[in-house]
Amino acid sequence: MKLFHRLRVSMAANIIGAIVIVLSLFGIVVSTIGFVSFTRAFEKEYSETTAHMADTAAAMVNGDSIDMYLSGRKAMEYVMTRADLDDYCKKMSVSLVYIIKVDRTDYGRFVSVFNSVNNSVDDTEYVEWELGHKRDTTNDEYRRKYRSIYEQKSASETVYRTNTTDGVHPHITTMVPVKNSTGSVAAILCIQRPMRELYDARRPYLITVAVSTLLLALASSVFAAFYIRKQVVLPLRRLSAEATRFSKENTRGETLERVSRFEELSGLATSIDTMEGEMVSYIDNLTAVTAEKERIGAELSVARTIQENSIPNIFPPFPGRREFDIFAVMDPAKEVGGDFYNFFLIDDDHLALTIGDVSGKGVPAALFMMVTNILISDRTKAGGTPASILTSINADICRRNKAEMFVTVWLGILEISTGRVTAANAGHEYPVIRRPGGRFELLKDRHGFVVGGMDGICYKDYDFTLEPGASLFIYTDGVPEATDADSRMFGVERMLTALNRDPQAGAEEMLRAVRRDVDGFVKDATQFDDLTMLGLTFRGKPGEEKQPEE
Amino acid sequence: MLNLTKKIENSKGCVALEGRLDTVTAPGLEEELKAALPGIQELTLDFEKLEYISSAGLRVLLSTQKIMANKGGMKVIHVNETIMEIFEVTGFADILTVE
Repeated sequence: MKLFHRLRVSMAANIIGAIVIVLSLFGIVVSTIGFVSFTRAFEKEYSETTAHMADTAAAMVNGDSIDMYLSGRKAMEYVMTRADLDDYCKKMSVSLVYIIKVDRTDYGRFVSVFNSVNNSVDDTEYVEWELGHKRDTTNDEYRRKYRSIYEQKSASETVYRTNTTDGVHPHITTMVPVKNSTGSVAAILCIQRPMRELYDARRPYLITVAVSTLLLALASSVFAAFYIRKQVVLPLRRLSAEATRFSKENTRGETLERVSRFEELSGLATSIDTMEGEMVSYIDNLTAVTAEKERIGAELSVARTIQENSIPNIFPPFPGRREFDIFAVMDPAKEVGGDFYNFFLIDDDHLALTIGDVSGKGVPAALFMMVTNILISDRTKAGGTPASILTSINADICRRNKAEMFVTVWLGILEISTGRVTAANAGHEYPVIRRPGGRFELLKDRHGFVVGGMDGICYKDYDFTLEPGASLFIYTDGVPEATDADSRMFGVERMLTALNRDPQAGAEEMLRAVRRDVDGFVKDATQFDDLTMLGLTFRGKPGEEKQPEE
Repeated sequence: MLNLTKKIENSKGCVALEGRLDTVTAPGLEEELKAALPGIQELTLDFEKLEYISSAGLRVLLSTQKIMANKGGMKVIHVNETIMEIFEVTGFADILTVE
């Protein structure tokens, strides 16, 4: 079964098989045509010869005497003629020579006149008919032919018995008329001649044709096998091997262009060559791009860690300070972001709080954010009011701001002992304040222009006081502008609702409540902007915290 | 999504914005303006159909404003309430000529 399957899927085996089948059919057709035409020609030739022989024999018989022989007269002449015919029968190697007179009413019966038998010729067992022996005509064919002879429609008739089934050897019987002096037919002379010669001649002919066809088919198959193997199968195998090799190794192999002189195969080879070239350069390109991406990814991951650690991110940040509770989160939309928050103690009584948002996102924003954050903490620690700090930073940044980036900043300094906050706002979102017992509300503070946007801006300070129990919430636009799948924004109102849900909430709970509401609002939509929040609850000096007013 | 309609007549340019001017669309506007600005003396930005502007969009406005300040100036018209609020919060209201 395995071998059969292999032969069935082998192109060479199939083509060779087809050639063998076609040539065999061709051989059968040629043999059949040869057989038929050979037989016809032989039969024609044989019957003509036999007819001549019959004519010769007929000439030995005196047609005028037939009736007299039958009535017993001219016995001497009959015996002599009979002896001549016997002699002829022997010499000419025919099985039978006989002369009959047919009843012309329906040609159904005849009487025998002469009957010479030579059983040795064809190994027959005929018995001579006596003069006057009566018989019925063998069949209709004989009857028709007897009539044809008697009516002189033909000079001779032949009956073939080539496919005998009764054990008689194949033979032909040729009949010619025996005429009397008036020219009419007196009797019919029949010669039976064995057809063995036909078979003897035809067998070698058939064998020759069959064998030569077979040999031709074999030779053609062998030739076709070698030719197809060399010109088609081997080139195809090479192509297939190269394709397999390429799929495993993904490298350029030897050029296949000259694998075959046939257009079809060399075209395929060229296609494979081209494909390999393109694939290899594509793979090289892809490898390079992927490596580059991985490198950038790794760098961004380190950058993210650096950025995360450039701002205070361990809470509580001042475990020893009971006067305030602070919590903050920064969640960039990409690996690194342009948002920042920061808080630090300037001295024992002053806490700086800042939040900012650089225009744009990603790496450029992150670089700008780092610079701004460091500038702000440096200047703040050096002293001064928020407005003077921002004014100085703005001048600094504008001097070397080729990228024309800017940053919105809210900077406040809390005097811990009094709760007084001095602040300046450079284009940043309104801070949100909850006074003790009250609700979170926007503080519509005085706004200056963004930092880095234009040289020569002078910011202005303002102040407000956080009483013990008050809370402050500052944030970037990532919170109110968080967007859901339908492009709707979270908005300031929802933000205030989230903040106001639990009036007792500490800084961390405030931020978590807002984050929860934002997440619930945007659902599956991708976070589009950096999202940063800072919350502060002010307790004042221990014991000073006021109870919420009822 | 941001659609731009540009009209330039006698070195007076008018660009109408439609949609959202944010991180995604701002670079496109910047390209368009960079190409068009050299041939413009006075620029008008029509914000009638602008729904939202982010900080990236503000950055484009600012750099354009700086270029146009040395020429015939730039003004922003048909500013809706949402965007006016953003202008006010960020201080852009003081910098831009808003009509």
